[in-house]
This record gives sequence, C-alpha cells and structure tokens, in this order.
Amino acid sequence: MNDMNAAHGAEDVQPETAIEFTGTWREYLPIALTNLLLTVVTLGIYRFWAKARERRYLWSRTRFIDEHLEWTGTGKEMFVGFLIVFLILLPVFYLANTFIQGLVLRGETREAGLLFFVLYGLVFYLIGVARFRALRYRLSRTWWHGIRGGSADGGWAFGWNYVWKSLAGSMVLGLLIPWAMTSLWNDRWNRMSFGQHQFEAAADTEGLFARWLLVYLVPVVGFFILIAAAGSVGSMITEGAQPGPGFLVAMVLGVIGFYAAFLLVSLSYYAAYYREVALATSIAGIRFEFDARTRDWLKLILGNIALIIITLGVGALFLGYRNWAFAVRHMEAGGEIHLDTLTQSTTRAPGDAEGLADAFDIGAF
Amino acid sequence: MEEGWLYDGVTAVRRPVTVSAEDGRLRVELADGSDVAPPLQKLTHVESRGEWEVYGRSDVQGWRLGIPAELARELGKLLPGRQRYGRWIDRVGLVPAIVVGVALSALAIFFGSHFPVWAAPYVPASWEKRFGDALVGDFGGKFCKGKEGQAAINKLAAELSPRGPSLNIRVVDIPVVNAAALPGGNVVVFDKLLQEADGPDELAGILGHEIAHIEERHVTQSMIREFGFDLIVAGLGGTAGANADALLAARYSRGSESQADSDAVKMLARANISPGGTAGFFDRISRQEISMGPVGTGLSYLSTHPVSEDRRRLFRSKVVPGHDYRPALSEEEWQALRGICTRTGR
Repeated sequence: MNDMNAAHGAEDVQPETAIEFTGTWREYLPIALTNLLLTVVTLGIYRFWAKARERRYLWSRTRFIDEHLEWTGTGKEMFVGFLIVFLILLPVFYLANTFIQGLVLRGETREAGLLFFVLYGLVFYLIGVARFRALRYRLSRTWWHGIRGGSADGGWAFGWNYVWKSLAGSMVLGLLIPWAMTSLWNDRWNRMSFGQHQFEAAADTEGLFARWLLVYLVPVVGFFILIAAAGSVGSMITEGAQPGPGFLVAMVLGVIGFYAAFLLVSLSYYAAYYREVALATSIAGIRFEFDARTRDWLKLILGNIALIIITLGVGALFLGYRNWAFAVRHMEAGGEIHLDTLTQSTTRAPGDAEGLADAFDIGAF
Repeated sequence: MEEGWLYDGVTAVRRPVTVSAEDGRLRVELADGSDVAPPLQKLTHVESRGEWEVYGRSDVQGWRLGIPAELARELGKLLPGRQRYGRWIDRVGLVPAIVVGVALSALAIFFGSHFPVWAAPYVPASWEKRFGDALVGDFGGKFCKGKEGQAAINKLAAELSPRGPSLNIRVVDIPVVNAAALPGGNVVVFDKLLQEADGPDELAGILGHEIAHIEERHVTQSMIREFGFDLIVAGLGGTAGANADALLAARYSRGSESQADSDAVKMLARANISPGGTAGFFDRISRQEISMGPVGTGLSYLSTHPVSEDRRRLFRSKVVPGHDYRPALSEEEWQALRGICTRTGR
C-alpha cells in the first residue's frame, strides 16, 4: 500500500499504474456459479442480488491509485427499483397495446397510428432518462476512500436531449450520429460528480467522422459487388452455363467477408469513439485515457464468442467479468488528487437503482 | 495491537488506526490516542478485500474501517458476521435456500400454469361481458348488417348449442379467413371465411368449435392468462410490454383445441349435420398452405388453428356412411348469410 503521500494530502497519479484490475477467474468462479444456481432456483428473482454480488467483486478488485473501489448497491434496492418501474410501466403499455390492437381491429388505423406514435415516442424519451439514471446510480454506489459519486440531476432534461439529438443525428442519412453520440456523452457526464467535484466532458467528433464514413462505405461497396455478381450470374445463365460449385463457395465467402468487414469498421468506429470520449472527460484535474484499439475490441468480442461456444453457453457467466476487466485494463488516469480537499458528495443517493434501464434492458455506457 | 485504517466518510483522507480488544470491547485508536470505535450494533461487515476485512457503520455512510484479516479472526465475536449471498439467503444458508427455492419454483410454475383453468369458473359473467364488449366494440362499424344473414347464423348457433341464443355471433367485413371466440360470449366470423367455405356444413363445424371454446371457458382462461401470469413472467425476464398479445391472436393449448373439436363433433351430431363438410374445409386450406406456403395463403385461420392430420381425421371419421344428414342451412339461408355484408336486409 503506497499511501505515504495520502497523509500529506496530495497524490501523484502515475500513468501505467493508476488503475488496475486485480481479480482472477478462480476467485470469481464460485461467485458466478452460486449466482447462476440461485438465479435458476428463484425463477430469476435472484438476478438482482447476483448483479450486486458480481459488481461488489469486480469493484473491490479494481484499484485506483492507492485504494480499491467499493460497490455498495444492493440486490434489494435493485429489485425494488425494478418492481416500481415495472408496476408503473407494464400496465400502461399493456393497456395501450390492447387498446391499439382494438383500434386496428375496428379499422380506426389513423387513431391507432397516432397512439402508437405517442407511445413509442414516450418509450424513446424514457430510454434517454434511463441511460442517465443508470449512470447516476452507478456513480452513487461507487465509493473510493469513503467518498462516493452521484448527480444532483434527475435526467428528465437529458431525456429530451436524447430524443432530439438522436433524431437530428439520424437526419442526412445518419451522418451526424457521431455528433449526437459525443454530444450526449458530454450532456450526461457534465452533470455527474464525485465527492464535491464535478466531471467535465468536452468530447468532439474530430477523428470520428472518417471512421463513421467507413461504416457507411462498406454496405454501399457490398451492394455494388452484389449487383455485379448478380449480373455475371445472369449472363452466365443466359449463355446456358450452370454456375459451378466454385461460384457458390465464392458467394458464401463474399457474404462472410462482407459481415467481417462491417464488424471491423464498426469496431474501429467504436474504438475511436471511446478513446475520444475518455480523453475528453476529466474531474478535478484528473484526466482519463482509454487506449483500447480496434484489434483489442476484436479480441474481446471473438474471445467472448469463443468462450460461450466452447463452454456451451456456461461461459456467459464470465461476460460481465471479462468486459469489466477489459475496460479497466485499458483505462488510464493522470493528474494530481488532493485527498484532504476531496470531500463527501452532497447529492441525494437515488433509490430507484436501475429499474428504468433494466426495464428497457440497457446499460449505463 | 495491530495496524488498520479508517475513512470517516467526510473527507478522502485515510487515517492509520490501531485496533484492539479491551475488556471484551472493540477499541479503534487514532494516532492522537482518541478512541473512535462505533457501538457494536452499528458495525456492519462490508467485504473481504485481500488481506483486509472491511467494516462500515450503518449510521455513517462512507465510514470504513479496514482490519487485517488475521486480527479480524482473532477478534471474532466482537465483529459482525460476513455477508455472502445477500441477507435473505445468508439467514437460511446456501443449501437450504436452494432446496426451498426449487420447491417454491416448482409450486409457482405449477400454480401459474393451472391458475387460469381454476379461476375461469369464478370470473363473474357480467365482468367478462363488459370486458368482451369493450374489446369488441362495434368493430369500427365493420359488423355486417344483413338481417336475413344474421337470422341464419343465429339459427345455426341455436341448433348447435343450447347456449347459442345467448351468444353474440357477428360477421365482420374484414378480408381474412378466420373466426374467433372473444370474452363475454362474443364470436366473430370474418366475411372471407364465408366466401371461402363451400357450403353451410363447413361453417357449422368451425362455428361449433368457437362456441365450444366459450362453453369450456377457454376464452376466460386465455383472458386470465393474458392479464395474469404473463405479467409476472414477463416481469422476471425484465422486458416490460413484450407480452401483450391480443386475445384474438391467442392460441389455445393443444388440449383445449382438441376438446373444442370433440365438442364441435358432438354438436354436429346433435344437430344432425355432417362433420364431412368441416373435414373438407380443413383439407382444402391445408392443401392451399402446402402449395402457396403459410405466408402466400394469407389464411390467418391456420395461424390460430393449426390443422393437423389428427384434426382432419377426427372430423372425417365421425361421418356415418349412408346416414341421412340434413344441410346446416337451407340454400336460401346460406345465400343470405354469404351476402350478409352486401345486403342490409329488408
């Protein structure tokens, strides 16, 4: 424990060692297995407690400078948060859906369409609110040196930002999506805090557009290749020749190649996106860096898939572990922390946990 | 005397403390000699972190006391027990919790799947009627109004079932080949079914089948299923709103379907109508499906009433050779019924 400087109140953050994941899969295995067992025998109800246990382990094995993180979220609060959202949302959507189907059945399609539009607009808005609140919840349950994070904001305004920026982003053939994504990242993180310090995020789209254009280019090129292939098959058939097995193989390889290329360019965009937003986010003079490159992401994803296939699905228990370890391993921080001036957060600790995000099955990032 | 550390939950400064036991009491001493040990009942175990056992205070958020694991073992009873699986599991222990869990889950699944069947007879008819009428409404004015046609289908229903006259059987001017039983004794027959049917005998079996669903309270069961258990199940999966199937698209269990078929066969026998017509209808639409594919036929009847070889065989085998059946409706009545959507009646 190198907490010598802590007594003086200042801590130099050394890159390469600032954030470290110290967990091992052997240590995590009993947690994963008992979680699975208890989740199965409780018809899924235990999954909230399982999530809390998983996070408590992952956080406790994550060292930031001289101290490990601590997760204080409980299964009970996640379960209650989920129940509340569920009891409010489900009847509303169930009744609305039945009502819409009734309208369609009676031929009142215009009214049904309108109601459908309103209903799904509301869902869209709530997804935005949920993304905000999931992040706020995670920060409020994350402790370091006896201090936690949080946000004084409820995320209701962010919900609207999410709606209009997502819509604006998909205009012009979706070319503005990088702008929408970085801008929404800033909107969220600028409202978050740790202790009394506010996060600052100023991500921009520099360096993202080129990769986003690639994501566009691949399907277009793929489409032209498909047309060319179809044309050549057409001319072969009109000439009376049967396409041989070699041609079929080429077709299959082409389709696989297309998906592989699309996966690669998408990953390269996301890799650049997370590098950019991490670099642009800071708190109280601490700067962050996320150095995962496209090939690192590729290795993570292929590794996850291989793990699931080889273990016939049991490996899915380790996905949360692997993803967390990946994120922490590629995260770096630099700057100077003044521990004696880092004081407790005054934000309210939200009680809704991740109920809303859970209802829509979305994560915090 | 052993070194530990303390966060006070107010600032991030980590303070070294010495932790010891004195007269059966926990002592946590700061560098200046002051004792900051909390009352024992406020002390909670937070987690085991490598060589440290970490404790918190239930009354001060962020207050954390780190005690070397070895010392924590020595102090034993002075410290609260460890948390492992969550309080409600820890209280009974892992293995008993699993045993109890398995038993309760089995009970819940059994009860959940049988509940609609048990509860259906207790749903008040007036409540079901109100719900059914609200669901059916006036079909956006799509109900066909031909008086003679309506009289014909009412007559057929009355012959099939003693409960027939209390049912609200309506033909709907929507071009799908289907018929459905809805809550509150409502039966809707879509016009295209009448156009596809080759004679009133074919309609009789299909109508009898839907009436049987009502009499056997399958419709009520399905209503409870839609509103009751599905809510809970969807909840555990965490996908709200994913399970909102309309009752109209509801598929009954295979058991309910064959029960409705055998009831329909009995109704036909009682009314002295040949079940051969219904068998013919099944033959024709399943042939169409084979030739045109399930999408190409546009036959929604098949999506809610899969026609199996068993179903066809049942109706075909109940035809008594040489028996003098009477037609389900007279030619005049049948034509009036087929024209129910175009004629408004006199």
